[in-house]
Amino acid sequence: MNASATAPAPGALAAVGEELAATVDALRRVTVQVRTRGPGIGAGVVWGGDGLVITNAHVARGDRVRVDLWDGTVAEARVFARDRERDLAALRCDRAPLPGGAVLGDSRQLRAGDLVIAVGHPNGDVGAATVGVIHVVDAPADGPPRWICADLRLAPGYSGGPLADAGGRVVGINTMIHGGLALAVPASAVEAFLARAAGQSVSAAPRPGRRAPVAPGARIQGRRR
Amino acid sequence: MSGVLESLSNELATVVATAGGGVVAIHARRRIPASGVHWRPGVIVATHHTIHRDDDITVTLPDGATVPATLAGRDPTTDLAVLKVAASGLPSAKLGDTAPPRVGQLVVTLGRPGSNLTASWGVVSSVTGPWRTSRGGELAALIRLDVGIYDGFSGGPLVDAGGRVLGINTSGLARGAAITIPVATVEPTIAELLERGTIRRAYLGVGLQPVRVPQSLGVKLALSSDVALLVVSIAPGGPAERDGLLIGDVLLDVEGTPLGDPSDLLAQLGGDRVGKALTTRVIRGGQMKTLQVTVGERPESRAA
Repeated sequence: MNASATAPAPGALAAVGEELAATVDALRRVTVQVRTRGPGIGAGVVWGGDGLVITNAHVARGDRVRVDLWDGTVAEARVFARDRERDLAALRCDRAPLPGGAVLGDSRQLRAGDLVIAVGHPNGDVGAATVGVIHVVDAPADGPPRWICADLRLAPGYSGGPLADAGGRVVGINTMIHGGLALAVPASAVEAFLARAAGQSVSAAPRPGRRAPVAPGARIQGRRR
Repeated sequence: MSGVLESLSNELATVVATAGGGVVAIHARRRIPASGVHWRPGVIVATHHTIHRDDDITVTLPDGATVPATLAGRDPTTDLAVLKVAASGLPSAKLGDTAPPRVGQLVVTLGRPGSNLTASWGVVSSVTGPWRTSRGGELAALIRLDVGIYDGFSGGPLVDAGGRVLGINTSGLARGAAITIPVATVEPTIAELLERGTIRRAYLGVGLQPVRVPQSLGVKLALSSDVALLVVSIAPGGPAERDGLLIGDVLLDVEGTPLGDPSDLLAQLGGDRVGKALTTRVIRGGQMKTLQVTVGERPESRAA
């Protein structure tokens, strides 16, 4: 047996477990439940401190939805932008400001094999988490990837919730299951969506390690150009 | 904040990128290409069931170049195939121990169903064996994985946390389940395929079914076991027909090894038996009879 096959430092696995639990706990605090009149609970991400929540368009059906925060408070939210093609919706909660928005990561830095963590509410289990790895990075030569594809066991109820990297930074919005793999809309695409919604020409680049920018409040029904 | 999770993530991605440098895409079927592993210079190991044609095969290398490949041989019984390519500078697989992995060990599966490398992770969920496949091949171990199956899974490598290749993954041997053909099976199989193009399998040409020997007969013939194998069919022109086995014969043992299940006989029929005589005891007409059967070679068959 060669040297690299020997046992790792004692406690390495325990350290991974503890840090994973802490990271999931932090992600839960920026993950909300999105409820509409229909059955089931979707997820959403607190994107900024002024009541902005991002979720999937297929989760936020209708103009008004109910948002349950991690601390148990319930807010009414208005859907102020929607992009069905990218399956994104932006909500504004009446109870602003929300406690702390998500820390964003750079989805373009992801490599195949990188750890990713999803938080959501599969089958009504509030604040559940699943861990996997980036399955494939399929970026066109001239821009960021359209999807983040992860080997991650999603289920209905994770939709609209955060996909985070190993540092707990949100890199995408979990959107669908395809061929047993998870597809998430990259955070950069969310930023571009918010910029379109504001009618501003803001760079689609995410801001790694920083709080998400305060969302503009323009009432645009997410028309895609 | 750079903690243990991030270093774990970085290490995983580095293992994927490094081991992925020897993972290629194989275009030998319609629609989605399958994966293969650059085993040693010019030799690519893949799975038999994903190679649908023997000619016009191309391979896409990690750098994106597509080069022609020739099929050196295939073995349906272990689901392995070997291709030869003229590609220089391609890293070869870093092989792990031939000892089977441990249950619970963290593993990564890689594939290349096209130009992009794919990765999944999981743990080894069980290791048993040796294991005989439904097509008569033998794997040194049956390694079952707790990983999903996706495009490009078959033919890709199973990689341990140190980046060592533990075997070739396939969904084609265990009813679609994710298993790995261990290095200990891959090595001798590809060596024989490269040398001969096929795997020699000893063959008798009999169809068998386990039967219970009546107690009275067992006592009369002083048998140690009450199960044996009934000959239910005989292949025309096969070794069994040539050497006088008949339908209705009940095979008790070969070379002194009792036969209670057809797999007991298969275990005696390694490639090295071809051309050699086997001594078998049979019950025929209530009498014990000793026969000599000269083992033949299984006719080449793509289907089984």
